[in-house]
Amino acid sequence: MSNITIRQVSRQFGANTALKQVDLEVREGEFFSLLGPSGCGKTTLLNIIAGFLEPSTGEVLIGGREVTDLPPYKRDIGMVFQNYALFPHLSVFENVAYGLKIRKLPKAEIRKRVEESLASVRLEEFAKRMPHQLSGGQQQRVAIARALAIQPRVLLLDEPLSNLDAKLRKEMQTELRSLQQSVGITTVLVTHDQEEALTLSDRIGILGNGELQQLGSPMEVYRRPANRFVAEFIGQVNLFEARKAPSGGEVPAGTISYLTDKYRLSSEQPLALIAAGIPELEGKESVLFMLRPERVQLSLERNLQETNQAELCVTDVSYAGNSLRIAGTLPGGGELIVQAPDPSFSVLPEPGQIFYARWAPEDLIPLV
Amino acid sequence: MAKTIKMKRRNLFSWILLTPSLLFMGIFLILPFLLLLVLSFRDVDGMMTMLPTYSLAQYKEVFTSDIYLRTISSTLWVALLTTAICLVMAYPAAYLLVRSPSKGVRTLFYILLVSPLLTSVVIRTFAWIVILAQNGLVNEVLLKLHIISQPLSLLWNMNAVIIAYVQVMLPFAVLPIATSLGEITPNLRQASMSLGAGRLRTFLKVTLPLTIPGMISGSVIVFSLAAGSYITPLLVGGRLQPLLPLSIYQQVMQISNLPLGAAMSLTLLVFVAIVVAVLGWILKRWEGRMNG
Repeated sequence: MSNITIRQVSRQFGANTALKQVDLEVREGEFFSLLGPSGCGKTTLLNIIAGFLEPSTGEVLIGGREVTDLPPYKRDIGMVFQNYALFPHLSVFENVAYGLKIRKLPKAEIRKRVEESLASVRLEEFAKRMPHQLSGGQQQRVAIARALAIQPRVLLLDEPLSNLDAKLRKEMQTELRSLQQSVGITTVLVTHDQEEALTLSDRIGILGNGELQQLGSPMEVYRRPANRFVAEFIGQVNLFEARKAPSGGEVPAGTISYLTDKYRLSSEQPLALIAAGIPELEGKESVLFMLRPERVQLSLERNLQETNQAELCVTDVSYAGNSLRIAGTLPGGGELIVQAPDPSFSVLPEPGQIFYARWAPEDLIPLV
Repeated sequence: MAKTIKMKRRNLFSWILLTPSLLFMGIFLILPFLLLLVLSFRDVDGMMTMLPTYSLAQYKEVFTSDIYLRTISSTLWVALLTTAICLVMAYPAAYLLVRSPSKGVRTLFYILLVSPLLTSVVIRTFAWIVILAQNGLVNEVLLKLHIISQPLSLLWNMNAVIIAYVQVMLPFAVLPIATSLGEITPNLRQASMSLGAGRLRTFLKVTLPLTIPGMISGSVIVFSLAAGSYITPLLVGGRLQPLLPLSIYQQVMQISNLPLGAAMSLTLLVFVAIVVAVLGWILKRWEGRMNG
């Protein structure tokens, strides 16, 4: 078990910069996810940790030991690949035993460790099979058993579940998480699936354009994204570019009023946004606000007490089973996306229908 | 009902498409083979005139004469040796071909590899005469460097035959191995290294076993070509080398004992077929193990 320290790591491919001075600390025993869109440098960073790529500058430490110049086979890592990478000419048993044979363990010990590893992924019955005789999910479990059998210092997972179908992926997520918890191994998962990263991780590092955009717990990165990139990548958002309203208007206590020009009411007046008066907003003239679609409520009647209210003409409705996604426009322009839990409407809204959308001041999150 | 008619029509269409090649194969491969088979059982008199009787006399001669038995074994031995040398030499070349980072370099290697096949075997073999002859390139250089005082006789022996064979047949070994190497997922090597295997062990335990199909395909081609070649051994080895194709030529063209020539041809064919069948069986077993 070890922590991983990434110090000022950069990597160039010709003229392209894949990673720009990334600093990162993966804590001992934690499940850490590197999340980002394709081409953001997350796989490059994982390959640098594994030793398949050398960083152009910077250093990598595993368990406090500098490994920057060590080849992968001296780093004591367990790795699981997207395509499973099982050796097709070796049986399941031989695959799992591969790393143990290299470590020259006695035969009886190898047998014991292989059986334990296979049992931990519930595949003890499959030891004699060849990889091609297994399903995708079983192959990936063998790959995990093989990586864990050598009792590595860290476990590196390169999009391990993205070749599986949705239902199996969910099952494997749960299994992977509980296995990681029981072994207590420091784990780095690379994924482009934000839901997977949110469900599995203790902490998430979001990479974009080769830079670390935010580092935090799943709740932090979802609720308080550090910037526009993170907000747009994790979940859906409504974004408002707003400027401070000239003082004088009536504003509830503890709130600040902003105007957003892209969203206009039927009177062509800019939509007013009432945000909670948090310290980050102090002295800010123009702010980018984020509003999660599930924070918006719809009603047929205008609610007289509520601040942050706008008339919304429905343009598109899509039903996703557990939720309902409604897109609509304000009378004077500006699109708003709303997500409602399934039974909110007995009859699905239809395009052209008029609703009133409202949200609380605290749900307007400034992206600084 | 309509469906069966449609199926029948489609079947008929495939047969029509196959007809030209089937006819060609039948007339120029199967028929001559059958004629050869019949011929090999004919008896001849002392003047090599064919008699109307049939017997196993020709085969008896092939399998009881010391000279022919020695010829058979040395033919197979030379083919085996050529195959082994080709495999060893082809592997690094195939590696280079597959692993060279830039596409331009790869294309260049492919052209270099395949270009000898564009010239005739005769010309390529003649080049070896220029290189290995008494007053050839190798001897001249060694003499000028005072390493030897008498020219070495490098030509007209089995070594020259093997050298020329290897050069002529190397591309046929490189290409299947390169194909096999190219099909290996790079992740497998990474997985091996992440499990603690160094480069050499990764090569021996992962890369090498996974290129067995390519090596077998290459061996089949090289072995059959080396066992059956006539021109190359004639030009660099001379007509007296104990090689079956040379003996067959001698029987047919010089001694005019056609039935004995036919029996020797079929003997050679059977031996090559046995080797190819064994290699094919190994290949099938291996691929079955990997892919079901």
